Amino acid sequence: MDRLADSHLAVHMSQHVVIGDAAPALMTVAVRGPLLVFLLPAPLLVRVARARPVFSFLLRPRVAFALWAANLGVWHVPYLYDLALRHDGVHYLEHACWVVAGLLVWALLVDPGSHRRLTVGGRIALAAGMFAAGQVLTDVLVFSFHQIYPAYPGRTDQQLAGVAMMAEQLLTLGTLAFVLLRPRLRRSARLLAA
Amino acid sequence: MSPTHFSWEPFYLVVAAAMTFAYVRARPSGRWRTASFTAGVFLLAAPLNSPMETIAAKRLLLVHLLQNALIADIAPLLVLLGLTPRMKAWIAAHGGARVRARWAILAWLLAWYGTHLAGFYDWALDTGWALNIEHGLLIAGGFLFWWPLVSARLSPPAALAYLGAGFVAASFLGLAFIFSSHPFYSFYEHAPRLWGLSPIRDQNLGGILMNAEQTLVFLVAIGWYVWRLLEEEHELGASAD
Repeated sequence: MDRLADSHLAVHMSQHVVIGDAAPALMTVAVRGPLLVFLLPAPLLVRVARARPVFSFLLRPRVAFALWAANLGVWHVPYLYDLALRHDGVHYLEHACWVVAGLLVWALLVDPGSHRRLTVGGRIALAAGMFAAGQVLTDVLVFSFHQIYPAYPGRTDQQLAGVAMMAEQLLTLGTLAFVLLRPRLRRSARLLAA
Repeated sequence: MSPTHFSWEPFYLVVAAAMTFAYVRARPSGRWRTASFTAGVFLLAAPLNSPMETIAAKRLLLVHLLQNALIADIAPLLVLLGLTPRMKAWIAAHGGARVRARWAILAWLLAWYGTHLAGFYDWALDTGWALNIEHGLLIAGGFLFWWPLVSARLSPPAALAYLGAGFVAASFLGLAFIFSSHPFYSFYEHAPRLWGLSPIRDQNLGGILMNAEQTLVFLVAIGWYVWRLLEEEHELGASAD
């Protein structure tokens, strides 16, 4: 995938949404509950505990969303996108940013430690906000009449990149919304039946 | 025929006039409601009775798809939002209450995809009069789709699921237009061109317009129901305190 990403924007975009969205989503789901406490070795856990104020700040919903959206916007600026393609160091930093930003928002969406920083409605709102922000980028890619990234010629490739992003977001955020809303849907159905 | 020439589908002028007459007779209340209803009726009749109809029916698919999006997605929603509770109760008592969300979405999708099938679309354009049927199906589908939401029979979670399903299911048509490499409709392949758009470029742009319009409408509607969900939670929290 990494090799193909050098020549196809759609593959590169898929790579980003996998490492920045699908992977953090699956990771946070995987460590839900008591497992979270045993995830890190005790010495590391102590250090993490010391940095708690930093994590608490970063995991404020508005901060996490702002960082996620800024990351999404900044790394798609053509100059930075091309810079990352030309310099491995910048490329690694870009990918690290995707993973960190993804982990921040998905920690809020999945809430593996049951911290309840957001209500169910708040989590749905965050997911909708993420989808809307992603949709802006998708629309720019799909609806653009010229090539945005010089390294990737071909408008169809660019449009496919936008669709790949939308499809992935629909899948991950849509699944989350369905899981969160399902108990309420059942309750509504029961009330209606009664 | 000049693209600025007016074309008419008088049936929809009569429908718009009848709806306005019934609305005024029912004595609507509220400035926003009246504005919404007026805008909805305008968007129902104007795209079908203006130069837009000429370009849509004679020249460009792009304009035809925009016309369809206006009359099927936006106009029915605005008209329904303009109804007073009493009007909605009347509609519910006269069949509206029997409209189930799952059937409404299915009917809307059938109208949306069915009317855009190449055979039907070309037939409607070739005959001219059959455009009335195409537009009628789209308008009816739009009213059916928005009714379960506007009649407030869906809770915010159910409405979000309904809108999400509609958004995903309807988007494939626009994407098919955007990514197609050959024209779907032979009518537009042979129609005189306008603004230097080739048939395939015209079709791609039509898909872009259709998807953009649906994204905007659905995201606004989803945003509204997320807001409602948060308010509901806030009220529950307040009553628990």
